[in-house]
Amino acid sequence: MMNRSSLIQEALHSSLQNFTRRHFLRESTTGLGAFWLALQGTQAAKAKTAEGAAAMGLPHHPPRASRVIYLHMVGAPSQLELFEHKPELRKLHGRPCPAEFLEGKRFAFIKGVPEMLGPQFPFAQHGECGAWISDRLPHFAQHVDDVCFIKTIQTDQFNHGPAQLMVHTGQARLGYPSIGSWVTWGLGSENDDLPGFIVLLSGGRPPRVGKALWSAGFLESVYQGVQCRGVGSPVLHIENPEGTSRDERRIMLDTLGDLNRQAYAEWGDPETLTRIAQYEMAFRMQAAAPEAMEIGRESPATLELYGAEPGQESFANNCLLARRLAERGVRFIQLFDWGWDSHGSSQAEALNGGFQDKCRQVDRPIAALLADLKQRGMLKDTLVIFGGEFGRTPMREMRTMQRAALVGRDHHASAFTFWLAGGGVRPGFTYGQTDPVGYDPVENPVPLRDFHATLLHLLGVEHEKLTVPFQGLRQKLTGVQPAQVIHDIVA
Amino acid sequence: MKLSRPKQQRLFSLHLILGVAIVLPGMAAASGAEAKSQIDFERDVRPILNRHCIACHGGVKQASGLSFVYREQLLGEADSGLIPVVPGDVENSEVIARVTSDEEGVRMPPLEESPEGLTPEEIDILKKWIEAGAKWSEHWAFEPPEPSPPPSVENIEWSRSPIDRFVLARLERAGWQPAPSAAPEKWLRRVTFDLTGLPPSLVEREEFLQAVRNEGEAAYPQVVDRLLASPHFGERWASVWLDLVRYADSKGLGKDERRTIWKYRDWVVDAFNRDLPYDEFTRQQIAGDLLPGHDVEHVIATAMHRLTQTNGEGGTDDEEFRVAAVLDRVNTTWQTWQGVTFGCTQCHNHPYEPLRNEDYYRFVAFFNETADSDTDQEFPLARIPLDSRDYTAASRLDERIENLHGEIWREEYAALSDETMWHALHGLEAKTNNDTPMEIRVADGREEFMTLDPVARDTSITIEAAMPEAVRQMTALKLVVSPANPARAVSNSEWGFILSHLKMELLPPGEEEAHEIAFTQVISDEPRPFYDPQESLDPKSRHGFAAYSRIHYPREAAFVLNAPLEVPPGSRLRVRMDYRVTILDSFPLVARRGHLAVSGSEAVLDLFNQETWQEKRRQLAALQRQREQISATTIPVLRRRLPHLQRPTHIFDRGNFLTKGEQVSPGLPSLFSSDNEHAAETRLELADWLASPENPLTARVAVNRLWARLFGTGLVETEEDFGSSGERPSHPGLLDYLAFRFQSEHAWSTKALLREIVLSSTYRQSARTTTEQREQDPRNRLLARGPRQRLTAEMIRDQALAVCGLLSTKLHGPPVHPPIPDGVWLPFQANDRWATPDPGEEDRYRRALYTYVKRSIPYPFQAVFDAPSREFCTSRRLVSNTPLQALSTLNGAVYEECAATLAERLTQEHEDPSQQIRQGFLLMTGREPTEEELASLDNMHERMVQPDDAQSGLRAVALVLLNLDEALTR
Repeated sequence: MMNRSSLIQEALHSSLQNFTRRHFLRESTTGLGAFWLALQGTQAAKAKTAEGAAAMGLPHHPPRASRVIYLHMVGAPSQLELFEHKPELRKLHGRPCPAEFLEGKRFAFIKGVPEMLGPQFPFAQHGECGAWISDRLPHFAQHVDDVCFIKTIQTDQFNHGPAQLMVHTGQARLGYPSIGSWVTWGLGSENDDLPGFIVLLSGGRPPRVGKALWSAGFLESVYQGVQCRGVGSPVLHIENPEGTSRDERRIMLDTLGDLNRQAYAEWGDPETLTRIAQYEMAFRMQAAAPEAMEIGRESPATLELYGAEPGQESFANNCLLARRLAERGVRFIQLFDWGWDSHGSSQAEALNGGFQDKCRQVDRPIAALLADLKQRGMLKDTLVIFGGEFGRTPMREMRTMQRAALVGRDHHASAFTFWLAGGGVRPGFTYGQTDPVGYDPVENPVPLRDFHATLLHLLGVEHEKLTVPFQGLRQKLTGVQPAQVIHDIVA
Repeated sequence: MKLSRPKQQRLFSLHLILGVAIVLPGMAAASGAEAKSQIDFERDVRPILNRHCIACHGGVKQASGLSFVYREQLLGEADSGLIPVVPGDVENSEVIARVTSDEEGVRMPPLEESPEGLTPEEIDILKKWIEAGAKWSEHWAFEPPEPSPPPSVENIEWSRSPIDRFVLARLERAGWQPAPSAAPEKWLRRVTFDLTGLPPSLVEREEFLQAVRNEGEAAYPQVVDRLLASPHFGERWASVWLDLVRYADSKGLGKDERRTIWKYRDWVVDAFNRDLPYDEFTRQQIAGDLLPGHDVEHVIATAMHRLTQTNGEGGTDDEEFRVAAVLDRVNTTWQTWQGVTFGCTQCHNHPYEPLRNEDYYRFVAFFNETADSDTDQEFPLARIPLDSRDYTAASRLDERIENLHGEIWREEYAALSDETMWHALHGLEAKTNNDTPMEIRVADGREEFMTLDPVARDTSITIEAAMPEAVRQMTALKLVVSPANPARAVSNSEWGFILSHLKMELLPPGEEEAHEIAFTQVISDEPRPFYDPQESLDPKSRHGFAAYSRIHYPREAAFVLNAPLEVPPGSRLRVRMDYRVTILDSFPLVARRGHLAVSGSEAVLDLFNQETWQEKRRQLAALQRQREQISATTIPVLRRRLPHLQRPTHIFDRGNFLTKGEQVSPGLPSLFSSDNEHAAETRLELADWLASPENPLTARVAVNRLWARLFGTGLVETEEDFGSSGERPSHPGLLDYLAFRFQSEHAWSTKALLREIVLSSTYRQSARTTTEQREQDPRNRLLARGPRQRLTAEMIRDQALAVCGLLSTKLHGPPVHPPIPDGVWLPFQANDRWATPDPGEEDRYRRALYTYVKRSIPYPFQAVFDAPSREFCTSRRLVSNTPLQALSTLNGAVYEECAATLAERLTQEHEDPSQQIRQGFLLMTGREPTEEELASLDNMHERMVQPDDAQSGLRAVALVLLNLDEALTR
């Protein structure tokens, strides 16, 4: 007579979870000594943290992945030139697009009745799983047996800004926490000296909505992603001012700590103790972050494997950095690589132009990352994700109605490809199938919220329980529409 | 880095539907005693319903047609025909039957979900409530505040103000004592930061301490009055307000380009400084453009709702983001003025409050009438004099220009609106200059030209037709441009058009040569369009008569000759229309459908020939010239569309703007408008309602906000949620006392209210805590001690600049670009430069309020100290405590510069290192260091001095002082 699994019921349920969590936290803060210890990274603190996570019910189940390396190709790479083998589309090349593809659809740039555009590169099958990969990714193709493809990711946004937000925050608007923020908020970090959520950029430009993609939204600012750089200062203000040595800084911090402890004795404000601890953590970070970000410490063989060159800003360097950070227990490592918006409107943004350069830039580093993680035994609990903010149309984009030498495709929201590797996903597997031209899913569509739910699931988190009350709603990464974990892709 | 999760409990309070109260000493006992007496719906019954029933019988889900959110449903028949609650009749109240049953399928809540069901005590409460007549009251915050007499207290001497009696009564109930007064210098630091955002200077400190010694109590109000009169008062409180109205100097989303809107920020600073009463402050921002006799400042105020984001990314739909901005205006208005989360009603009824889905869209309709439409140019813009001393002159000119303009336009438009003077063109032949397909159709007996998909860029349409027989002379050509689907476009607008150029030629019979016809005037159906229609006559201009960027209705313009033109019988006409604008790299703004007519009537020429009309034109031109001579900046503002161009508002199915449901008209939520006296139909009436004492929320939300900024936590902790899912006030009587007083005695004066609060004994308490207090009331909800807050991001930076003597005290002006760390400024548009003034230049040292705010690249210092990035309304900042903050204040360039300057200043003022250190300490904390503290610093100084750099030790001391816990708090 009543559907008890209604949204509100879930909200009520999760509010109880929250209550339990906060209740615990209040208890723990009143014991100031305990909090103080917790911030010192001691064994006792570790015990305390574990106890805290348990009291919050986190993880909700045994995690398959302990950390995430997320590779986002900014601009949306063409699935039809990389992962989606569509011989039918080749046959339709140059023919007018069927009317049913256009009815009721909105496009960013396509006008009228466009032509179909056949795949621009040859495909071949690889590995034991027989996955079809285009000849643009020869190195990656050797690792398909470690990879799980989802061919039917769907979004409801077809402009870059909102679509990028949709992928990383579950909302098309600015101001919501990103995946990395949710994850570090829920699970904390495994490293006391480095931020738990680190962002690395390549391709010469940041994504267009900028920091909003690694924002903590309405969570505390401590959970926002920290942008680290391979060139110059790795973290903002990580270096002492010129002329101040580490020993001198130590003396200053000792004095500061001494004075702040006197302030605590006087006022009894627990925030003072936290502040003392945070200054100490900053001091440790000053040593740990540059060390972690120094790829020059890697062997020449490793540098060669990735195609990394110390001192550059490149996707290859960032892949190697991602592995170094993963090794050090950073929870969520987010890479953005600019330059995948292949409209065909300029040389750099054409499938028969810049797209091929982009493929070359990422192919070897991605293969190296997968191989390196595997060789170090880290792939089993490191989840690697590859994707864009949407896919590209099987139709050719012609803005001027004139057929030019440059070839491109428009934004496409209804079916595109993500792949995942490691971290408990089913290797050598393909989930979801699109129609013969790659326009719509014919089986197992995966809205982004299901992808988010699955990602959290792999980390041991139930997406419906990781909630925060804000603006009258129990906010969660997966939003208000029902989302489901795709158990088929979990190994 | 360990993430300091324990902070959450302070940040996200328990605003639970379950109504879990924070049990504080004294509270439990009191409510226990009261529970035995009268049953109160709000206190006793609603929590039971919320806990057990609302999930299925709430606002969103109304199983069996029953919701416990709405009174009429509780007392009416459910789908079953049974009545849940019959007042006075427990026997016949179905609710009781259900909760007391143990039969599967009958018992509520269902056995399988809640085996234990309601407790006997809860059932007893429900029964007693029904017996006593089932009196229903709305949630406390939805009933207007009433005068609330201060309670009696034992320790009457402690009370300086009625505020204190509310606080003390509560403490006495808990058996607690208030804390002793803070040391005068601590109070001075607290109040100076709270009121002006700056630390007290040493002179101010000395004067105050002396006044306390000489005059005692009288010294306190003197300081408060001085601070309230300071121009920095407005700067401090503007930064609070700007978080709410999501102020930024960039547009957000796709490109995040620069937006020139700083005049609004300055308006807010001034509004606080001149203590513009909060009701007027409200009215001007919501509907300044509609106020009778509105002036330049009223117009600036409306920029508040133009701070919404726009999306200039290629290929984006202007209508989609216009709608998003309108919805944001609704949500921000509710959040800011009403402290109620209205946003969730975009998709469904509010789960807990009696606010319905339809209420949301009726409210949307108040804001759906403005002309802005997500265009790159930010239309409509107002020109605002750079110098505020020119405001009065500009206001006068604007009023005269607007009136005269309107008058002229109405006369001209009237002269053209007689339908019988127009002769439609028939036998049209049409072609385009490119691949855009073209067709002539007959609709309603009228021949229309149509462009078909795909419409190409730079399309020129040429139409040829025979001159109608009846037209022997020609005076004007009329062009009507319609949406491709006029019936649908009213609610689902299409991309519009910009007629870049129109050229007409006459082809007399038998002549080879076409004669170009020179028009002198273009009169469109809008008096103040974004683009001047006259530009359609200029072959060099790309702009002109337009529906920019969306079209909802057929639009018309008349092209008028300066004298009647003889038309030989059998002549043909050729009209060429150039549409040269393509926006967002994707959408050619080309007419999709239209028709033409010609006229020989001399009505409009007669008008042009009238001396009075010509005089008006001359006057208008002269006034416009005068106005242009006032140097000005622009600002996006609110302006109504004309009645004949208004867009209808629809309910969106599940909140999606593409699926429109029932059409609605503007109106207040039924919760607030059951009686007709609260009806509102326009944005101005909405503003009046928000600013009226009858509004139950406005004053409460405003005073709570002020309280929260002073004490760190609001009386209602969930500042953003005064609804039944928010926290209940810690001191309900005090909240209502302040709210009522704010809107009555204080006549909405923010300064008067702040004055009263900061002069109270409650505010003056020392922040020192005891172990007992920390354990029993860690968040100081009982107010048994004074507030100790971390400084805001703005205060931290401003203080550093102030104590070293670098801070500029200049008010107002365009945003500034202080030093920014390398590698941070990577704007999407490479030509958007961050130009930092050199050391020594004033704009390098302005207050943080004036730093350029770019949404996609928050200024690192602001962001790291918890300033929001202003994407949408933020009611309170979440205060964090992180290592990145430590790195910013230890290693940031601003801090390096401040430490060096402070060391320099101290060296100049004193010779003895101990004296220098003592002075530095005093500057940073407002108090003398203890011997122990001084010893610590002396010792460090000695160890840090380098032989070749005498100031190195003092620089290190200065940096430590800038980082002291006490320096970062107030």
